[in-house]
Amino acid sequence: MTTSLFFVQLINGLQYGLLLFLIASGLTLVFGVMGILNLAHGSMYMVGAYLAWYFVQQTGSFTLSALISAVIALLIGIVVERTLIQRLYRRNHLDQVLLTIGMIFVFNALQSILWGNDPLGVQVPEAMSSAIPLTEVVEYPVYRIFVALVCVAIAFVMYYMINRTRLGMLIRAGESNREMVECLGIDISRLYTIVFAIGVMLAAIAGVIAAPMSSIVPGMGEHVLIACFVVVVIGGMGSIKGAFIGALLVGLVDTFASVLLPQLSSMMIYILMAFILLIKPQGLFSS
Amino acid sequence: MLFNTRTERYFVWVFFPLALLMPLFLEQNTFYVSKLTTVMIFAIFVMSLDYLVGRCGLITLGHAMFYGLGGYIFVMIAPEYEAVNFWVYTFYICAIAAVVALVIGFLVLRTSGIYMIMITLAFAQMTYYYFSDSLDFGGNDGVFIYVKPDTSIFGLSLFDLDNPTHFYYLCLLSLFNTLFFFRLVIRSRFGRVIDSIQENPGRTTALGYNVFIFRLIAYTLASALGAYAGYLFTLQYGFVNPSMLAWTTSGSALVMSILGGIGTIYGAILGAVVYEGLHFSLEHLTEHWLLFMGALIILMVILFKNGIAGYLEKLLERRA
Repeated sequence: MTTSLFFVQLINGLQYGLLLFLIASGLTLVFGVMGILNLAHGSMYMVGAYLAWYFVQQTGSFTLSALISAVIALLIGIVVERTLIQRLYRRNHLDQVLLTIGMIFVFNALQSILWGNDPLGVQVPEAMSSAIPLTEVVEYPVYRIFVALVCVAIAFVMYYMINRTRLGMLIRAGESNREMVECLGIDISRLYTIVFAIGVMLAAIAGVIAAPMSSIVPGMGEHVLIACFVVVVIGGMGSIKGAFIGALLVGLVDTFASVLLPQLSSMMIYILMAFILLIKPQGLFSS
Repeated sequence: MLFNTRTERYFVWVFFPLALLMPLFLEQNTFYVSKLTTVMIFAIFVMSLDYLVGRCGLITLGHAMFYGLGGYIFVMIAPEYEAVNFWVYTFYICAIAAVVALVIGFLVLRTSGIYMIMITLAFAQMTYYYFSDSLDFGGNDGVFIYVKPDTSIFGLSLFDLDNPTHFYYLCLLSLFNTLFFFRLVIRSRFGRVIDSIQENPGRTTALGYNVFIFRLIAYTLASALGAYAGYLFTLQYGFVNPSMLAWTTSGSALVMSILGGIGTIYGAILGAVVYEGLHFSLEHLTEHWLLFMGALIILMVILFKNGIAGYLEKLLERRA
């Protein structure tokens, strides 16, 4: 592998990892704070991508479409949490699995009713459609770098929110002791609604910004869900830091495996996960 | 008394006679007979999962791995154009699957809870991608089975696997045996220890039992039966393909098991029949059957806390 190819793969891997982090962080946040295993999280990624496509068609502007999609995702999150997820807090993981699988079915059906089953595509926004030359022959698309930067920015915002703001303080408190937070007069169910809605929005934003880089197809949600589970389990369920490290690891391993070991590429991240779990059965940064 | 509850006894007395008579009503229609056969096969698979998840507390999202292996092991060891003996190969397949389960179980049982769900999923995905990327096994298209095994014992051929009605009865018998077998296991000393492990692993260890070994045996047992179900499925349709190994297969089996009433064993049959029944009838009514299926699953979780079996028990046992 030449240096420039290595460099391109490195950026690709990091960028894919950062996108995975964006999705996985919502999953791990919801699990860490609320103890809910949301299998329908990948569907939110899919919903984000389809919404982005729909509003780009309607408004013609990617930025506007991204904003509208994020707001709609937030509303979906609030409604789903209030009507369904709230009933699951006192139930076991199995009921959560069943209910969220039911949600996957509903979201997939709605997608096929509203937007059909043909693959769709979103144009890369005009301002970012160029590519940066790395060497004389190799160049790198600006949009992919933009995606990576957005992910890094969101990671920073999340870090700040969790460690420095009042909401973050409540989230951390809710994670360690739900009853105590309730005793102190905090409305924990409202906190849960907010956390769940934020999780949904993060997955949807990932779907929105990924839309111009990949085709929008039915089943994209489940594919990304499994990858996110690998990320979250490697990092340790409930740990945002773990999700970050896990996502980068998975992104890099997946990207380099497809270049170096094409025959094993789709198995590689699972081998990585099995390997890590056998050494550290609770993941790298278990909370 | 073999069966735990009145409900289970009633269920067995209603379900199996009905299932025995079913092909008489459907004489003209082999389509429905083979559809029902598939449901029976899946019920066996769900039952083995139900034992693991409900009785042993070992939640796995990778059980489909053994379902698929049941088919792939057959393809690997059986000669392509020569009929092999059904009984001998049943034994081979269960034995090989058990060995695989011993090795995988040895690794995955070191973790627990949500991590075990994920590591079982990881192994299942590895197998899935191994077979779907492999050219030797036809990739995504899978492998056809040209010659079905013959079923003679000591030169006496009792039934023909190509006859849908015969095959239906083979699967029904297998289902009954599986239910019976798990009941015996649960009643045995081994089953008592497993129950006590699920109740409290720490105390069971203190009583001098090796929790890990007991779990490993249970895992191996359930996996071998899962492989048997996959073997039957492969024989019914005459091919094996990677979708048998997909995580959605594990997922829907888990849904059926929870729907039926987790840990009740006979609930697996209820779950498989109701789920497949709904799937089949909704699919015929509307193109968007998934929407209704999803909504029904959500409603069932909210309304029936312990699955259909739990609901039936509440109805029937109250009068007792």
